[in-house]
Amino acid sequence: MTAKRTMTLNLTDAEMRVLDELSVRKDITKTAVLRQALRLYQTIDARVEKGEKLLFENEATKEKAELMLL
Amino acid sequence: MTVDVSTIYLLDVATGESVEAELRDAIEQAQLDDWQTKWQPALLAVLQDLARKGVPMLQWPQSWHWNWAQKTARVQGLLAFRGFSVVARGETQGLAQVDLTKASREPSQVGKPLVYLDYLEVAPWNRPEFGAAPRLRGVGSALITAAASLSLDEGFKGRLGLHSLPQADAFYRKIGMTDLGQDPAYQNLRYFEMTVEQARAFLEEE
Repeated sequence: MTAKRTMTLNLTDAEMRVLDELSVRKDITKTAVLRQALRLYQTIDARVEKGEKLLFENEATKEKAELMLL
Repeated sequence: MTVDVSTIYLLDVATGESVEAELRDAIEQAQLDDWQTKWQPALLAVLQDLARKGVPMLQWPQSWHWNWAQKTARVQGLLAFRGFSVVARGETQGLAQVDLTKASREPSQVGKPLVYLDYLEVAPWNRPEFGAAPRLRGVGSALITAAASLSLDEGFKGRLGLHSLPQADAFYRKIGMTDLGQDPAYQNLRYFEMTVEQARAFLEEE
């Protein structure tokens, strides 16, 4: 297993509540939620940097919405 | 990047003896060189033989066009993608690439993160479907074990998903994965998933 480093993270109550909810709903630890968030953010950012767009499609209506990353 | 190397054992099919091998949690240049200089010529010989025998392309090994150099380059530096390789007798015996951004579809775990096995390929000389007796057995299982273990390490509890090439469907059923049927969004390949319980049973057996 790859060695890991420890850091302290300061979150607001609202952020902590979201982290708790995601941890329960996704059945992973809070650390795993944050590591997953980092992976997704990096993946999306790399694709946007290459000129791709991030689109969400409603499966029922096929309506597409673009998520702008600033 | 530091590569974790663990010792595993494969089976020499000809002698029945166990063979020490390395499971590496990366695909490095040495593996890509082996793919280019050893796998490709071996695969080409198999394809030429199949063509000579008039075997329709539909029955050819379905991963024949995979380009590991491109697959690895595409995900270079991205945390979401990881590679594994099995090395024995100085040669790369198998490769796998996984994606950590996907979610489960199986009803008991839908929406929960899993390790998605994007690509898994065993060296041409270890594949029984190519006619000749395979040299080493256990390479594919070792790579699936690595993916399931990564799922545990990442806190995904062993959850694992993959789209199977038709020639491998029976293997994934045999190791206890749930067959969720053909996926029209993915070339109609069958989608298989390993649940937490199935992963526990699989890893206990391995």
